[in-house]
Amino acid sequence: MRTKPSSLAQKLMRLVGTDAVLWQPEDLMLYEYDALSSLRQPDAVAFPTTTDQVVAIVRLAAREKMPVIARGAGTGLSGGAVMPEGGILVGFSRMKKILEIDLENQRARVQPGVVNLDLSLAVSDQGYFYAPDPSSQKACTLGGNVAENSGGPHTLAYGVTTNHVLGLEVVLPNGEVIHTGATHCGRPGYDLTGLIVGSEGTLGIVTEIIVRLMRKPEAVKTLLAVYDRVFDATRTVATITARGITPAALEMMDGFTLRAVEDATHAGYPKDSAAVLLIEIEGLREGVEEEADQIESVCRENHARNVRRAKTNEERELLWRGRKNAFGAMGRISPSFYVQDGVIPRTRLPEMLEFIAAVEQSYELKIGNIFHAGDGNLHPLIMFDSRDEGQHQRVLKAATEIMKKCVEMGGSITGEHGVGMEKNELMPLIFSPDDLDAMRKVKSVFNPEGTFNPAKLLPTGKMCGELRLQVSAGGPA
Amino acid sequence: VITALDRTLAELAGIIGAESVAAGEATCAAFAVDGKAPRLVAYPTSAEQVAEVLRYASQERLAVIPLRNGTKLAVGNPPHEYDIALSVKQMNRVWHYEPADLTVSVEPGMKFGDFRLFVGKDGLWLPLNPAGGESASLGGIVAANATGSYRCHYGTPRDMVLGMKIATTEGKVIKSGGRVVKNVAGYDITKLLIGSFGTLGVIVEISFKLFPTPAEHATFILTAGTLDKARQIRRALQQSPILPLRTALLDTCSMEFLKKAVQSEDQPGSCQVWIEVGGTKRVLERCSAELGKIAAGTGEAMRNQERDERTESVWRKIDEPHADVRTNADDWLLKVSVPVATVEEYLIRANRDLRRPEHFWRCWADPLGGIVRLWLHSTPEPAGVEEVVLKLRSFAEEFGGSLVVEIAPADGKARVDAWGAAGDDFEVMRKLKDAWDPNHILSPGRFIGEL
Repeated sequence: MRTKPSSLAQKLMRLVGTDAVLWQPEDLMLYEYDALSSLRQPDAVAFPTTTDQVVAIVRLAAREKMPVIARGAGTGLSGGAVMPEGGILVGFSRMKKILEIDLENQRARVQPGVVNLDLSLAVSDQGYFYAPDPSSQKACTLGGNVAENSGGPHTLAYGVTTNHVLGLEVVLPNGEVIHTGATHCGRPGYDLTGLIVGSEGTLGIVTEIIVRLMRKPEAVKTLLAVYDRVFDATRTVATITARGITPAALEMMDGFTLRAVEDATHAGYPKDSAAVLLIEIEGLREGVEEEADQIESVCRENHARNVRRAKTNEERELLWRGRKNAFGAMGRISPSFYVQDGVIPRTRLPEMLEFIAAVEQSYELKIGNIFHAGDGNLHPLIMFDSRDEGQHQRVLKAATEIMKKCVEMGGSITGEHGVGMEKNELMPLIFSPDDLDAMRKVKSVFNPEGTFNPAKLLPTGKMCGELRLQVSAGGPA
Repeated sequence: VITALDRTLAELAGIIGAESVAAGEATCAAFAVDGKAPRLVAYPTSAEQVAEVLRYASQERLAVIPLRNGTKLAVGNPPHEYDIALSVKQMNRVWHYEPADLTVSVEPGMKFGDFRLFVGKDGLWLPLNPAGGESASLGGIVAANATGSYRCHYGTPRDMVLGMKIATTEGKVIKSGGRVVKNVAGYDITKLLIGSFGTLGVIVEISFKLFPTPAEHATFILTAGTLDKARQIRRALQQSPILPLRTALLDTCSMEFLKKAVQSEDQPGSCQVWIEVGGTKRVLERCSAELGKIAAGTGEAMRNQERDERTESVWRKIDEPHADVRTNADDWLLKVSVPVATVEEYLIRANRDLRRPEHFWRCWADPLGGIVRLWLHSTPEPAGVEEVVLKLRSFAEEFGGSLVVEIAPADGKARVDAWGAAGDDFEVMRKLKDAWDPNHILSPGRFIGEL
């Protein structure tokens, strides 16, 4: 039996239509988690189709003094799109138009609900692509990418989301609409685009995005280097960086992870190896060949057992499918796992891997390692059973130790997954009270009442120096 | 009698040491901005000292302009007030350098030329060619987001800065970002400071991501009979598999300016498209072949320019005309940003509709970066140029772009805003300025909307 819409739902229906609001608890349940679960559901979910409707929703929320959060596909890994304090969730699944493609200027103007991969597919035939490629790119939206400043394997050569976003239309918490940046690169003024990208929905709600499109390279080569020792793989990464070779992507998977991936995807990773590097080189044919030879010799110098070059496009895609579905494959072997996201200087990779192995032992946990190695961006995957409270606590402690090690090495507590409500209490590890005050000052300019995505990104002071654990099993990232 | 100046001098000396403060007419005149000299000059030696000076200045409502060699000080509106020139000249240290990791953290006073040599010994570079060239400081480059012809290939400082430390008007030194290549922890305040022209805080440390230098460079010149032909070449270049390191479109009047260096044997009246590519020998051979095809396809000539001092000097002048442009005279130097597809059209319209015989008029462009530069003055009727500048700006806006006045005569600046009209995001910018610099002591009035 359907219940009568709540008064909030009725108000929202008047703004966006009766078919564009969810209010029943069983519907709202779907919105109480991304990779993190919230203790609360949103009070209602609205699906606007225009910027004006977003403005109307934001104004309503301001009158009702309710939190507002924007949500794309909910693929985020740090709790950015859930509502710990309830409120109105603005779903962008009906704002998914590519508004304009301008190939001569290498620009596209899109709505935030456009799926990342769909943009690349839309311009692929003309020889273009959108560079940032999070592993969830088949599902995640560009709006979410902007909020989190998402990365991906190919950001090693091309940069992350912020390097590819030129302008934004943004709805502020008071309902004002502003346009930041421009289609060209030289607009004077403070770089609000750069500030809003990666602000995790705490400064404004993005309703339109101008992105840069890139020309597809003439040639692509994908190499799989196979190792009997993890150390040799990490040293290869450090050597490639030190020699000034910049592959388009340089990914690493350890034996435990690649075996799980191989069982799930049959991508062709040798299951008896200790680690593999997946290396991609792009550019002019001549340059790609030379770099592939250079990289192959670095791999061999560092005792690679075998270096295989993908011979066909199918073989290449299969290798990548294995990598991009790695998190999903973990679901086959562990009831739950916790994916971490830390960054270290690339020269410290060998040392870091040894540290993670020591943590694994001392906490009696199984940790898989999958890295954007070329960027020094680590994704340790900690296996556990969430029903086992003791294990749960050990996972938190182990993850915190790894984060602290990243910081000690001069790195960061997140490279691409965001702070959200997972790591906001860890922010004091890398930022002083003064640094955090400066951030609060920025926030108060945009979001003085704190109604946009409350209790995210900045420490709340309620939990000191603790991680909040993700407990979902699987999903790409 | 103890004057207010004496008191300020003594108090600043108390904060950063007497040896780090200077006054006197001659000293201060060297730091004049738009004809206005400061009352004194401070040379702090550390991030903390910069913060202390700012705290003091904010408390005393003294206007501060941060600087080093002044290579970009001409950019901006005349300051509302100007009491203290804050020179970061003494801050040249390298705090962290990890060549194997391609990262470096430096103080803002380090000169670009010194930095180039410092990282160059390890085969690394920061691919920028800012105004001021070798004598530009790293702090100034970042504060101005100064680029040059490498922008189309490598991006701007915005794409190269990993993190920074900032001295604030509250007297604090805060950190944003870090020194790893990927980092999304917290707001990207770094971006806010890049290109803020010293109006929010003073950058006291910068971490850069470095790039390996290309094995070899080569410059090719394609002649183009007309700007229409130049457009065809640009489009062909965009469709080709090669990614130039930089390109420049020189029309007749700019070649005039570069005459000595160009020594063109092509027929007069033609444009040139300069293209620099980088890579290994085989890659360069391939680029040469591709460019040859483009030349053949457009019916134009191509030649491979020797990589000599002459070639380098043309590239240098393209990026740094500032040395030749007369400041404190009638000269105007303008930087127009437009969508790439409209660069040639902009030049065509500007030349056709606005160029007058009595004007000294030089223009050239970065066709793949979407930048047009104009250098003009008029001896018989200096004031007439203002009207032309305003029209050039409205052309740029019609094309969806903008025009920034980089150098202008003093009376010209009084009538033509350096930045042009602000957009609907200006209110947020104003509030950010109020939040970071509540007493408006940092370069007051110089930035967009007289922030």
